Amino acid sequence: MHQKLMELAERLAALGEQPGGECPDPVNTAMIRNWTQALGDPGAWDDAAPPAMIQVWSMPGLSRAKGPSVADDPLRMLNEHGYTGVVATNCEQTYDRYLKIGEALTSRMRFGGIAGPKKTAMGEGYFVTWYQSWYDENDERVAEMLFRILKFQPRQRAGGAKAKPQAGGRYPLRPAIGKDTQFYWDGVDAGELRIQKCADCGALRHPPGPMCPQCHSTERTYAVASGHGTVHSYVVHHHPPVPGRTPPYVVAVVELDEGVRVVGNVNGCPVEDVRVGMPVRLIFERMDDELTLPQWTPEGAPDPAPAPEPAAAPDGRRVELTPTFVIATALATRDFTPVHHDVAIAKAQGSKDIFVNILTTMGLVQRCALDLAPGAVLESIAVRLGAPAYAGDVLTVTGERVDDRTITVRGTVSLGDHVTATVRLKGDA
Amino acid sequence: MTISGKTAIAGIGATEFSKESGRSELRLAAEACLAAIKDAGLSPSDVDGLVTFTADSNSEIAVQRELGIPGLRFFSRVDYGGGAACGTVAHAAMAVASGQADVVVCYRAFNERSGHRFGQASPSSRADSTGLEFSWHLPYGFATPAAWVAMQARRYMHEYGATSEDFGRVAVAMRKHAATNPAAWFHGRPITLEEHQASRWIVDPLHLLDCCQESDGGVAVVVTSLERARDLAQPPAVIEAAAQGTGPDQMMMFGYYTGDLAALPAMGAVGDQLWRRSGLTPADVQTAILYDHFTPFVLVQLEELGFCGRGEARDYIRDGGIELGGRLPVNPNGGQLGEAYIHGMNGIAEGVRQVRGTSVNQVPDVRNVLVTAGTGVPTSGLVLGAAG
Repeated sequence: MHQKLMELAERLAALGEQPGGECPDPVNTAMIRNWTQALGDPGAWDDAAPPAMIQVWSMPGLSRAKGPSVADDPLRMLNEHGYTGVVATNCEQTYDRYLKIGEALTSRMRFGGIAGPKKTAMGEGYFVTWYQSWYDENDERVAEMLFRILKFQPRQRAGGAKAKPQAGGRYPLRPAIGKDTQFYWDGVDAGELRIQKCADCGALRHPPGPMCPQCHSTERTYAVASGHGTVHSYVVHHHPPVPGRTPPYVVAVVELDEGVRVVGNVNGCPVEDVRVGMPVRLIFERMDDELTLPQWTPEGAPDPAPAPEPAAAPDGRRVELTPTFVIATALATRDFTPVHHDVAIAKAQGSKDIFVNILTTMGLVQRCALDLAPGAVLESIAVRLGAPAYAGDVLTVTGERVDDRTITVRGTVSLGDHVTATVRLKGDA
Repeated sequence: MTISGKTAIAGIGATEFSKESGRSELRLAAEACLAAIKDAGLSPSDVDGLVTFTADSNSEIAVQRELGIPGLRFFSRVDYGGGAACGTVAHAAMAVASGQADVVVCYRAFNERSGHRFGQASPSSRADSTGLEFSWHLPYGFATPAAWVAMQARRYMHEYGATSEDFGRVAVAMRKHAATNPAAWFHGRPITLEEHQASRWIVDPLHLLDCCQESDGGVAVVVTSLERARDLAQPPAVIEAAAQGTGPDQMMMFGYYTGDLAALPAMGAVGDQLWRRSGLTPADVQTAILYDHFTPFVLVQLEELGFCGRGEARDYIRDGGIELGGRLPVNPNGGQLGEAYIHGMNGIAEGVRQVRGTSVNQVPDVRNVLVTAGTGVPTSGLVLGAAG
């Protein structure tokens, strides 16, 4: 198969650009307004179309069948040989110039190439690349896009093993919080370790509960722990893998000076240094933007280094991925692929839910870049695609100005990085 | 009023024990129940009660339909994981002794290896009472039964000077027993203490070989009145006593917050009831089936049940003390470490075989057998005896 596939790739690449056809509508204000409203884009696009909309103009829409693609033959061959999985990995758009309202476009495609077989996190696969270009009425090119997908042989997943979320994602091990435990977690957020105290008889109790087992009072208050205690017992976890954790790590029962016991990790010393009876003191560990945990470190150990920069810098923009957002943006980009609007079909195809389409991701990256460089003119957007951005999740988009002409953008969801992108600005900006 | 001595286990049945049964859990349950009913010399139309674990995925009515049981007069579930095992027999015996039912089948069937594996970490937590219990632990990556038991094991080592090798002697004994049991997964595969020590860490202080295997399979037992059991196909295994128990501040494997971590008070409570209700003492049992999901709790159980004093179990098990031919042969079938992990139900079946005198690893002159269920959780126990 490999030999035949490579020969086919060579033949297709030699064909050069193939006619794609006219775009259904000229560049128009109605589609631009739909797009800005759906994406929540604040830009004033009165004279020119948002550059990241380029692919929208050539999308066929719901009723028109998708035309043949230059990559159809190799993709079919890969499917027939067990490379049935598909995931988009790269999308790079270069803008020769911005488009004006009323311009009519045509698009053409050419085959790029095939690389592989490569071992990837998804399984063994081939990267398939093709290009789409857009031309104006004078047959001058206005934009070009590289699109790359990985066709892979889905791996049999080991029973029960779960993928660990990437660094920067949402910490997966979250406590359930109820009416009787809310005060404890409020205390953690306030930088306190709170121990439930009976308001009538004064008995301390952890874990807390609604009725004092000593005097049966339901009146409760709390004491704030001094934050000092000793290790009463401990374990070192090695196996199996636990989502969000890197073994080996220590879990300990800590007996507080106040006389109650709590469970936590012992951080800030090698795991082999932990002993029963070791004095420890309270520290707080920030797990992600929303969750902090009370933790323990040897008495006398220095404060831990501040947590690494959280995934979302304070200026990161949160995009709530409501079903409305996912569906409205898909339709506003004229993308009627069912996985972006039909939950049942998305699930049947192995997705957790409907998810944000790539055309929308491009638009969100564009917005982030323009937030950092207002008034700049974009030369190109190159994105690497990661975890899907499912409905119900939150996409946090942060950008960083690297130099005059370069901005990097990162979008994270609970599963890890959804997108990492490099945006280039025109020199005369 | 007591149910002791009024009921008996009249039949036992099981599927094969494997790592991948290749069939549904309901089919395993139906096969095990049918085997137990036939072993007793009964037919499904004689059955009017079914009891299983809350954790079992096969409802009583689903099993009723597969077996073609005309109707049920008693159905019940017992909670708290493997702690339910002997509790199912306790519920069945109460139902029979009180006239609520005549023939009750207790069953447990699962694909615990090829399907949902209990040993894997699960990040889910709800805000019900159990979910809140887990919420004090899961955020710390304290997420597996091995880790929860290891926390108590460490304190036990600290208090009494027990070592990993002491735990290893339990594993060696169980694998020795399994080696001569053709039904055991580890049939013909004994281990040495050196192999135990060299096995990788799961959760320090527990090595891989301190942890029981994961299994697919099903086991069922038939409970009826002693009077009726005398007329059936097999010698009755009399239920001399059955008990459930919890300790103070009981939690699901998180007994860390008050009291002694180097103890299992729920098992102590069960043991006290069993001896009192049966009128027997530890000296009156010839073999014991002790729940062995993890080795350290076999030592603690010997202490809680009165076979030896606090901290003395490591001396009690030395020199083959719990092996066949020792002072108290424990789990002659190889236990869950050696035979299979069917949530303690395969241990009850072995207890019955020991009373009948039909085990492949038969202990001589068995008159009474002690059987226990899951430890670290609310638990249960049985004393089974030969009919006079």
